Amino acid sequence: MTEIPPTPPTPPTPQDLERPHPPQAPPMPIVLAALEQDDSSSSVLGTGVQFAAMIGAGVEALHAGTSLPATLCMLARRVGVALRRVDGPADRALVAELERPEVRAIVVGAGLERSGHHPVGPTTRYVAERSSKFVVIVPVASRGPEGPLRHLLVPLEGTESSSRPILEALLPLLVTGAEVDVLHVFTEETLPRMLDHPVRDFELIGREFLAKHCPSASRILLRAGSVADRVREVCDKGQCDMIVLSWSQVSSVGRARVVRDVLSTSAIPVLLLPVVGDEGPTALPDASSHGAP
Amino acid sequence: MTIPETLDATFEGILLDWEGTVAHGRAVDVHGLQGRIDALCGFGVHVFVVSAMSVEDLDAQLAARPSGPGRLYLCGNHGAEVFRATDRGVDLVFRRSWMPQEAAALDRAAASVVAELEARGLMAKVVAGGPNLRRIDLIPDAEGTGTARLHVTDMLPALQARLAQADIAGLPGVVELVRHAAGRAGLENPRATADVRYVEISLADKSDSARFAARVLADEGVTGSLVLVVGVELGSLGGVPGSGSAMLVDELSRAVVVSLGDEPGGVAPCVQVLGGGLPRALEILDAQLERRAAHRVPGVDDDPRWVVPLSQDPSKVRVTETLGALANGRVGVRGSAEHLGPHASALFAAAGLYDDQSRLVHGPIWTVADVPDDSSQPAASAVDLRTGVLVRADAKSGVRSLRFVSSDRVHAMALRAEAVDGVLVPGDVLDVPDGGGGRIRRRGGATVASSGSPAGRLTVAARERWSGSGGRVTLERLCAWSTGRDRPSAERRAARQLARAASVGFDALLAGQRRAWAQRWRGAGVTIVGGPEAARDELAARFSVFHLLAAAAAGGEAAVGARGVTGDAYDGHVFWDADMFVLPALVALRPEAARAMLEYRIRRLPAARAEAAARGHRGARFPWESARDGSDVTPRLVHGPHGEPIPILTGSHEEHIVADVAWAAVRYAEWTGDAAFLEGPGRDLVVETARYWASRARLDRAGRAHLYGVMGPDEYHEVVDDNAFTNVMARWNLERGAELLEQVQGSTGGGASGREGSGGAEVAAWRDLAERLVDGFVAERGIYEQFAGYFGLEPLVVSDFARPPVAIDVMLGPERVRTSQLIKQADVLMIHHVLPTVPPRGSLERCIDFYEPRTAHGSSLSPAISAALLARVGRPDEALDLFRTAARIDLDDVTGTTAGGLHLAAMGGVWQALAYGFLGVRTDRRRVVVDPHLPSAWSELSMRFRVLGVPVEVRASHDVVVITSSSPLQLAVAGTEVEHRGGEPLVVPIRSRSRAVMTAAKRSPS
Repeated sequence: MTEIPPTPPTPPTPQDLERPHPPQAPPMPIVLAALEQDDSSSSVLGTGVQFAAMIGAGVEALHAGTSLPATLCMLARRVGVALRRVDGPADRALVAELERPEVRAIVVGAGLERSGHHPVGPTTRYVAERSSKFVVIVPVASRGPEGPLRHLLVPLEGTESSSRPILEALLPLLVTGAEVDVLHVFTEETLPRMLDHPVRDFELIGREFLAKHCPSASRILLRAGSVADRVREVCDKGQCDMIVLSWSQVSSVGRARVVRDVLSTSAIPVLLLPVVGDEGPTALPDASSHGAP
Repeated sequence: MTIPETLDATFEGILLDWEGTVAHGRAVDVHGLQGRIDALCGFGVHVFVVSAMSVEDLDAQLAARPSGPGRLYLCGNHGAEVFRATDRGVDLVFRRSWMPQEAAALDRAAASVVAELEARGLMAKVVAGGPNLRRIDLIPDAEGTGTARLHVTDMLPALQARLAQADIAGLPGVVELVRHAAGRAGLENPRATADVRYVEISLADKSDSARFAARVLADEGVTGSLVLVVGVELGSLGGVPGSGSAMLVDELSRAVVVSLGDEPGGVAPCVQVLGGGLPRALEILDAQLERRAAHRVPGVDDDPRWVVPLSQDPSKVRVTETLGALANGRVGVRGSAEHLGPHASALFAAAGLYDDQSRLVHGPIWTVADVPDDSSQPAASAVDLRTGVLVRADAKSGVRSLRFVSSDRVHAMALRAEAVDGVLVPGDVLDVPDGGGGRIRRRGGATVASSGSPAGRLTVAARERWSGSGGRVTLERLCAWSTGRDRPSAERRAARQLARAASVGFDALLAGQRRAWAQRWRGAGVTIVGGPEAARDELAARFSVFHLLAAAAAGGEAAVGARGVTGDAYDGHVFWDADMFVLPALVALRPEAARAMLEYRIRRLPAARAEAAARGHRGARFPWESARDGSDVTPRLVHGPHGEPIPILTGSHEEHIVADVAWAAVRYAEWTGDAAFLEGPGRDLVVETARYWASRARLDRAGRAHLYGVMGPDEYHEVVDDNAFTNVMARWNLERGAELLEQVQGSTGGGASGREGSGGAEVAAWRDLAERLVDGFVAERGIYEQFAGYFGLEPLVVSDFARPPVAIDVMLGPERVRTSQLIKQADVLMIHHVLPTVPPRGSLERCIDFYEPRTAHGSSLSPAISAALLARVGRPDEALDLFRTAARIDLDDVTGTTAGGLHLAAMGGVWQALAYGFLGVRTDRRRVVVDPHLPSAWSELSMRFRVLGVPVEVRASHDVVVITSSSPLQLAVAGTEVEHRGGEPLVVPIRSRSRAVMTAAKRSPS
């Protein structure tokens, strides 16, 4: 591995990198930004920087390949982020990097998908399905955040298992006071069978939903219909900077429709939180996740 | 000896079988028993000593003289007499009077038995008699042969051998022989019992005593497992029921029963054999005294027909709080845990008490206690509908509690909790809600807190008593509330009320609570007989009636908010829910409370007049949402999630409320028979609202009158012209207003009436306008058009999209629904429900066929009304489906909003569906019409209520209607005119029409 630091002093030697870290205070949490030599690199890195700031972490940029493209080096230097090259197939290399204890998350571009079956490329899909950490996917159409991530849109289906990663893993990390907007989309099955006055009853239902599933959220949006459509409508109004979805990392046919749909249409980064139950992700029932990409 | 687990409970009623249980003979010293009984009565326990002896002998031996508050009854002489023992002596309560011919028949029967036995070679002898009993000794030579000294287990074989020689099949054979003899002698309902030596023929026995006790206790709200029966010979003996088993009557079937005898022949599963005789009896009573002295948390009768268990799902904690709410018509408290967890939504509120923002005032929470946080695993809790208490038991911490809002002393509330040492510790006595402007302070020995705003303030005073024994600590908290803008004077009043409650004490307050609810249920009972589903229906129906009974005070004025005081949804505002859904139930269940609801409207007539004037009209315009002063507090708009304004049009357009108020006044007068109401305070409600319609309607060029720009009950179509319900109600309002105005003019010689003083011209104008007012009825189709242009909308039906109930406006979007014939709730059908004699004959069936498929039942008010109407037209099985939806709206949180309080209007609808629908009850001037249509899943429906001032019970099965009334009543039962003369139940056979009509209906689907 080699590393290009943001300011050029002396590059560390491979021996330096392989030397074990001396015991010290817990290392600063890190967000990895996986840069490809394509149009997404700027937005991925920008998203990584803002996401890291939101959770009080540092940023490391990675490139999987045989060398570090100059354009990426310049980009990293401009943003002031260290860039490293990692060897091996990109998907496995990135998952291996995610194993580092100080790593909290990885930001990846959606990548190219030729088959049309998936909204993201195979590397991104591989990472998303195997990561036990947060994965932020930056859609191809995204230009990256223009500033700090202030508004998170969190679609919640209303099950404990899908709410738990938000409550326990994400919200405690937020240090910049980002606002969390919960979106709950009723389906035909979950829509209350009676609403005496929809607008006013939704207030009540929303309060109850937040109390159960996300008490610290700033507000709740209640809608009916297709989750992806409703997410898109909210995003189209420009009132959120990132979409947060919990999912069970299962990508078999018929699963993960919501995640797939959101990734297909979103123009802003999508944070995927793995749902990890007591028995592990694969033991979770279908209903507990929004699906896999 | 240790007390078994089944007796680890606090009993409120104890039946002691004297013979064998506590006294083996008249010489036994029972002094210890007397002291214990006196002490138990002192704690409020009701004790019944049941004996075959005469009360004179019984009293001489027991000599108990309790001073109460619990009562001691001496039930002697084989169930023939009951005396009450007090510190002043014994007083006769009941004595069965005997006819001379009954005594003669007893003699004949006894003589016949003796003769028959002798004919079989078995010597027998009548050895004792009294007014109601003949005892025959089957071993008259027992003393000579030494048999008399044998133990029962040895004597029985001796007797059986003797009977066998006479070719008699043991004791059952003797009893059978006695029964036949009694029958031949002409005795009705003779009692025949036998033991190992004697056989008895009587006209009463201990079952009569037990039934008396059960009746007295039920009147006190003491039933089932709150009752302890202590006896001997509760099983069988030689193949016949033991002497004590007569006490095991159906009315005490869930009582705790223990035998202190040997019971060699075995006992029924419900009887626990302890043995031990008198010493064991004293132990049992001592254990009860210890519980009382330690202020242990009392129990409830865990009767599945009356107790509603609440969810322990931590994600439903706020729904559970709502379902566990208790109220007494004046105040209410939600069923929050003692420890207010992060998701708690506690509320203590007073009906009609609003802050300066017209929101329900959140009063100090008096149910808090410093117990371990159980928010992750809430305690088991249940509401006892029979007595109006909430009990909680946390298996993890061992904390148990019971609380109630007194219905006997409406300013008092109480909580008792217990746990092992260290779990329950002193902490905050009261909790003042955030933002309520409240504060807590000490006043004398009490903690006092107040919250609210200058417009309305709710004050609570509380006093605690901590006690401990045996490693257990008990908290007893008595509280009192008051309202008033001035904090110091409100605090003084609360403190005074608290002193009164404290002088009564927890036990007596609880006894009063049980008694008050027992009294309420006597006039409001609902019983549904059938399978398990019927039992579920019954509990849901009782849950509704329970909260209706608690919704309004029986005096003053009663503001019944959409959620009562069980939650703060809709800010406690008063809607048509109160007038059209709750009031019709209360006129039958608690007419005084219904009157108080009308008083709320009467006192807000000035505001309604002002509102009409402000809109350029005459008369009175009641607001869609009303709070403290009667002005319109309907929000004009709410803000959507993005801050976008969303207008609310109900306040400006849903004007049928004006006629609804008038209808409520007339319904009260007609149902109760209180004609004076419409001649007095209620008249203005009808006249002034009629006057409003007169100025609100507009004539077209053809001379027809219209109401433009209104909203009917179907709020999917927000602003329409000539909503049929609104117009029909307005026309009815005009006609009734004219009638009342005319009566006044008649009585005043044609002088001025009302405020306008326009005399006969106004009456004539109203009648003319009523005739001109279009109602949308299309004669050739036999149905009403819901509003002008409705028939031209897209003819969608709900089943194309979903199975009702469904919030189809959310599913399809409001625009799509607005342009279709899909409707939210009964609208045209509401005409048939509230004014059943107005629509042309046959219209109801046609309107049901047309509108029901278009009705999404997306309103909680809707299913019950359709259920009532479907039952009325003889489609009770279809009605039952909708009834069940309505009855479980809150129990199953169908709307997702039960956390904000109970849907009282739906509960009123449930009662109406039962009474108007399945029983088919209505008034027709001074006559009561009963026309039942029961669903096939129910075999019987019974309801108690008052009508025309008379308490009645109507019990209907598929074949017969039984009507009980203490006063004469003119009736029409299933089309047959009958007169109830009062007293004995009236039995009217009916043919099983429901099934036939239902079948016919199925043959011609809509």
